[in-house]
Amino acid sequence: MIELKNLTKKFDDFTAVDHLNLRIETGEFFGLLGSNGAGKTTTISMISTVLLPTEGEVLIDGEKVTRKASAQKRKISIVTQEYSMRQDMTMDEVMEYQGRLYYMSRGEIRRKTEELLDFAGLIEYRRRIVRHLSGGMKRKLMICRALMTDPRIILLDEPTAGMDAFARRQMWELLRKLQRQNITIILTTHYIEEAEALCSRVAFLHRGKLDAVDSPGNLICALGKFAVDEMDGSVQRSRFFADRAGAIAYLEQLDADAGATLRRTTLEDVFVERIGKQNPAGIK
Amino acid sequence: MGILTVLWEKWAEFKRDFFKITLAAMISPLMYLLIFGLGIQATSHGEPYLNYLIPGIVAMSTMTGSFGAVAQNMSVQRLYEKALDQVMISPTPLWQFIVGQILGGALRGMYSACIILLLTMPVRTGLIFNGLSFLILFLNGMVFATMALVLSFLAKSYSDAPRYNAYIIVPMSFLCNTFFSVEQMPSGFRQFVGALPLSQTSSMIRGISSGVKQSPVGIVVLLIYQIVFSMLAVLFIYRKKNL
Repeated sequence: MIELKNLTKKFDDFTAVDHLNLRIETGEFFGLLGSNGAGKTTTISMISTVLLPTEGEVLIDGEKVTRKASAQKRKISIVTQEYSMRQDMTMDEVMEYQGRLYYMSRGEIRRKTEELLDFAGLIEYRRRIVRHLSGGMKRKLMICRALMTDPRIILLDEPTAGMDAFARRQMWELLRKLQRQNITIILTTHYIEEAEALCSRVAFLHRGKLDAVDSPGNLICALGKFAVDEMDGSVQRSRFFADRAGAIAYLEQLDADAGATLRRTTLEDVFVERIGKQNPAGIK
Repeated sequence: MGILTVLWEKWAEFKRDFFKITLAAMISPLMYLLIFGLGIQATSHGEPYLNYLIPGIVAMSTMTGSFGAVAQNMSVQRLYEKALDQVMISPTPLWQFIVGQILGGALRGMYSACIILLLTMPVRTGLIFNGLSFLILFLNGMVFATMALVLSFLAKSYSDAPRYNAYIIVPMSFLCNTFFSVEQMPSGFRQFVGALPLSQTSSMIRGISSGVKQSPVGIVVLLIYQIVFSMLAVLFIYRKKNL
């Protein structure tokens, strides 16, 4: 279990994360969502100890996570937003370095490297230098590296950024497989549909503060499970309804030529309604 | 264990860039030796100037080799590649990472010094380089590797590493007993420059090479530098909030 207690991070006068309190259960697939600058990456960085909090603390299984807490850190792997690895190493060397940092034996390093690179379709490029890999290959390599050490907690900061649709679906499958192994996963993503498809609970962050936390289903229900989209001039507006009957009744009142459509509400609707209305400029 | 991991990483880098590293370690010391030692045929204290110059150049090589190996590499890893993040997150104790960097940097400095010694071997100078010389050179390499580590933790941008080189390493190369004795400097400045680690190393190496028994003061000074910079490096890696 991961607990964030009053977690705060300030960079000079700017408060990136503001007294964040969260509790993430073991084996949970948890999404951190927010517009740019909401504090998602800063939160992930504090959980992993790359950044130290200005105030508050992170607990894993009741114990405080610090840079000295080797036993706690042993449980964590991270896939960062940036390609955080030595660009002059080969894939094999990147994997070996990771294995050595986690005290794996040479035999284990060799076995896991082959297994993971093969799984990710990278095995034939294993002697290629990272600098010469495509963006998608680098991201896959980062996932392989994160899985190398059999972590109990994986922090994924925009793991599918820059991936094509096919690769993203592959990644989703892999992440679902990991969750079935009772691994706790914390995901930040700009693709809200990704969080909706994968996460058992999500938290919306806005300007470093927690706006809402619940399952995607409950958040959608709270807004209304059905949406009617209608055009108001050149702007599309949506109305939300608790049930289909209510949405159809509203639709029938509308002019048939208005082009209004009925659909299911998505998590993205919830996100836009909650966060977008507080900060319209932050939503693209 | 963590120390060995860092040394493995340094070894992998050394193998990969062997020719570039070797060439870079050779060029400037060789130029200094050719210009000041062979080109300008001078004498110092009744002996060929080359005899004065070689110990200074060897000491300087450990400084530039060790500092360069750590400063450039760590700045890139921390600010550009973000590869340091993976080390920070890993269970490897961070003090072991620091020790690995210091030893790896010092070994690179020793490699540079050994190249210069090999290159000057055909010139029969009669200079003595013994176990104590190598110990002092290694200690000098450790001091500058640690200094580089501290500065790379303080660097705010990737371009700070070459600036540190210009502000610290270049002046030390020229002033600290390498080409001429600090005794020729005006009082005040002389004491300041004389207390710098390269001045101490050059002076001890030069003394040993000409068979003069050395007092342990220089080694104590190097050890003090080593302790102070090591403490700063450990403090930064554990406590710096935005590393």
